[in-house]
Amino acid sequence: MTQTVKAAKKSSSSKAAAPAKAVAPAKAKATAPAKVKATPEAKAAPVKKASSKKKSALAFPFTAIVGQEEMKLSLILNIIDPRIGGVLVMGHRGTGKSTTVRALAEVLPLIPRVKDDIYNRTVEQYVEAEGGKKGAPAINPEEVKTEMIPVPVVDLPLGATEDRVCGTIDIEKALTSGVKAFEPGLLAQSNRGFLYIDEVNLLDDHLVDVLLDVAASGKNVVEREGISIRHPARFVLVGSGNPEEGELRPQLLDRFGLHARIITINDVAKRVEIVKRRREYDEDPEAYIKKVTRDQQKLQKKIVAAQELLPQVTMDDKVLTDIARLCMSLGIDGHRGELTITRTAHAFAALQGKTTVTMAHVKEVAGLCLRHRLRKDPLETVDAGEKIERELAKVLGEGEAAA
Amino acid sequence: MIAFTDIVGMDLAKQALMLLAVDPSLGGVVIPSAVGSGKSTLARAFADILPEGTPFVELPLNVTEDRLIGGVDLEATLATGQRVVQHGVLSRAHKGVLYVDSLSLLDSSAVSHVMDAMSRGVVLVEREGLSEVHPADFMLVGTYDPSDGEVRMGLLDRIGIIVPFATQNDYRARKKIVSVVLGERYSEDTQDELRMLRGLIEAAREQLSHVSMTKEQIKGLIQTAISLGVEGNRVDIFTIRCAIASAALAQRTEVDDEDLKLAVKLVLVPRATRMPEREATEEEMQAPDEAPPEEEAPETEDENAPPDEPDADADEEQEETPDMIEELMMDAMETELPDNILNISLASKKKAKSGSRGEALNNRRGRFVRAQEGEMKSGKVALIPTLISAAPWQKTRKADKAKKGIKTGALVINKEDVKIKKFRDKSGTLFIFMVDASGSMALNRMRQAKGAVASLLQNAYVHRDQVALISFRGKQAQVLLPPSQSVDRAKRELDVLPTGGGTPLASALITAWETAKQARTKGITQIMFVLITDGRGNIPLAAAYEPNAEKAPKEELEKEIEAIALTIQADGVASIVVDTQMNYLSRGEAPKLAQKLGGRYFYLPNAKAEQIVEAALS
Repeated sequence: MTQTVKAAKKSSSSKAAAPAKAVAPAKAKATAPAKVKATPEAKAAPVKKASSKKKSALAFPFTAIVGQEEMKLSLILNIIDPRIGGVLVMGHRGTGKSTTVRALAEVLPLIPRVKDDIYNRTVEQYVEAEGGKKGAPAINPEEVKTEMIPVPVVDLPLGATEDRVCGTIDIEKALTSGVKAFEPGLLAQSNRGFLYIDEVNLLDDHLVDVLLDVAASGKNVVEREGISIRHPARFVLVGSGNPEEGELRPQLLDRFGLHARIITINDVAKRVEIVKRRREYDEDPEAYIKKVTRDQQKLQKKIVAAQELLPQVTMDDKVLTDIARLCMSLGIDGHRGELTITRTAHAFAALQGKTTVTMAHVKEVAGLCLRHRLRKDPLETVDAGEKIERELAKVLGEGEAAA
Repeated sequence: MIAFTDIVGMDLAKQALMLLAVDPSLGGVVIPSAVGSGKSTLARAFADILPEGTPFVELPLNVTEDRLIGGVDLEATLATGQRVVQHGVLSRAHKGVLYVDSLSLLDSSAVSHVMDAMSRGVVLVEREGLSEVHPADFMLVGTYDPSDGEVRMGLLDRIGIIVPFATQNDYRARKKIVSVVLGERYSEDTQDELRMLRGLIEAAREQLSHVSMTKEQIKGLIQTAISLGVEGNRVDIFTIRCAIASAALAQRTEVDDEDLKLAVKLVLVPRATRMPEREATEEEMQAPDEAPPEEEAPETEDENAPPDEPDADADEEQEETPDMIEELMMDAMETELPDNILNISLASKKKAKSGSRGEALNNRRGRFVRAQEGEMKSGKVALIPTLISAAPWQKTRKADKAKKGIKTGALVINKEDVKIKKFRDKSGTLFIFMVDASGSMALNRMRQAKGAVASLLQNAYVHRDQVALISFRGKQAQVLLPPSQSVDRAKRELDVLPTGGGTPLASALITAWETAKQARTKGITQIMFVLITDGRGNIPLAAAYEPNAEKAPKEELEKEIEAIALTIQADGVASIVVDTQMNYLSRGEAPKLAQKLGGRYFYLPNAKAEQIVEAALS
């Protein structure tokens, strides 16, 4: 058995830098230098070096993905407006679901955060949280240093334990120096970014509970060893899976803003193209990525432009009425449906470079927003998408007749 | 140990393993085969043909999560005062082989982790305060006996090669096997042969990048994949890699017809979801008819060929693909396609032997997977993990308490240290629906069953319930839906269902009982049969294999059904019988059947789906 030791000699600069705090956040493991050493038990066995550093593995480029426009659009809309509430991508095996999500990181824009802040907070959030603490000196926002980071994309593997998701006390610190230091989890890392769960329909129930809780409050609270940590955890939840492997809990389903479906492409030319690109990439990933750099940059620029345009996008009350009527006629409970359509249609209009939302925009996104919100009827033979189309046509027809 | 070259028979499996050795990016090889066929011997001998020092790690079926993924070795951590990381099984197989015997019995959460590692090439360890990435780029070699159940499709999708189900070796081969088993191991000849084989594979690996493939060949393979209804794009890539590896193994620089045929046989055919037709019309070639209508949401249409011009498209493709290649594909498929292709069966549905194996595995039910935080009263306390999790804090806790002037004992254990044993709970119920699809009332019964199945599945995630569906008509019963939690899958299976014909009730009961036994080997112990029928069986078991047996005397039929029903009752399976026969026609068969099964009887001639669900849950 190969065992590796991660030495405790981590750079403690970040912890030392915040002596005023009762609890010093441990630096993220990813940046800690890993030292490999054999334990007494492992001495006999050959020692393999563990790559315990998180390398930024190359990913197949987003713009080189053929087809699956629905999924790509959903992701882009969520970058433009994270309040849309994430996307659930369900569909056939081997159709590039996780490839697409993992490719996302490269086209995401940069965001400002407080320098080295493990929670990716903005200056305002930082000042509010840290300045408000008992005994802490007031912080002058102008003195807080910031840096630009790419929007984080955090992968939540199925086997993650709750303490790694929520964060816990750094066991190493406790052992070596008897100090209780909070070690942030994946939720902290994903604040203001994307949290991705592949095979989301197979996620353990207790993790689903945690996610639902945090997604609803936007905060993560950890109580351990007599300390209490509370930090913002607002993330765009992205899940993918194959519906044949199992069902998703309805509460979790409801949390996703959009629901993209993905099916196998049955067009020979497209499939040949997919294979061609994949093989070219496999042969020399770096060269291939270089080849499509311009496309990637173009998309990134388009997204940034849409983000900037978004605040100016307006929507007529009449369109809002039509959206409400659509949701009513589909019998959708609650108001999350209307809200999601409204936000998504705004983002979609911005992406198209338009400042006014029309029913044409609504039409394009209604299926994505509502598909998973329809009440399930076991005997229903009509597809959810079709039903939405049909009701939409009715609403539009009535609208025209009234006009 | 028997050497790779000494194994007799299973040529296709051997060939598959050699291709994998040449190109490990094929992901792996799955070998379905009956008990005692030597499949695991072969798999273990695979190490012989790999370069020396290649890791070969066997994944035990009862693996715990932390062993699989890796994590903090708490004992060593405590002993050394430094964090000791233990790599999991997945990572130890890096650049080597991960071998799973009885792949279909692997726990579903373990399967998920294997799948995840295979698609990333690494294991993300986010456990117990540890956040690391361990490399885990391995070849998966799995063997299993199809009578133990299916391997999850998601996992198969990440494994390049699926060897067609191997039947027993012939007499001569068997004799040779015995002599090899008894004979000298690793004789000099064997060593030489192995060395040669390794050299061959080494050379093929180098040849790999020099093999070229024409665009027509690639197109031909993809066309074949589409006409077989193979899902996803990942398989396309595996097919191409397989053809290239085959050419490389033969030291060729160009892929030829034999390579293509082999790729179709090993990669595509085992995943076929439909039978291709030689004279396929354009529409058939183009229309994804395996996809249920609900998957073709209008929004997704633009990614496929526009609906109004598939014909033109297909024509074009056919012109571009030389006839020769298409012919070739058809040849390869026709010779290899199993009769019942829609069962995706890698395998003939062998009857599970009743008895020992199922029983033994039954005891694994509620297998301990990990220790998890929890309330002391909510489960069994995992003592050692609790103590271990309390240990690191002793210093600080004692200091804290001392500050407050509280005396402490040897150990300070807080509520949050308590770890509860988490078992893989399969505590849900498996509902096996048997629906009489014979006769004129069949349509109505099917509708009821569909509704009941779907609405049970709506709540399946809550109780971890599963549903299986068996329809019976004609000569024998058929499993339409193996135990599943998926509404989508259930719908897909139920949407196309033939009705009419005789009533093979005995066959239905036997089929259901077999399904139940299979489920038990996977840890599901609560099983309920829901039988929707008028209880009037008129086709004996023998009819399935002997056409003349169809007309049997009524008494014999009754005896047969009674015997099966009593056995099922004795086996402890709960049943309900939903009688759909109109009152004036009933001759009391259904209540009698319920009695023999020891189950409850419901008379619901116009039952609604909800009533059946209520009856099943009551």
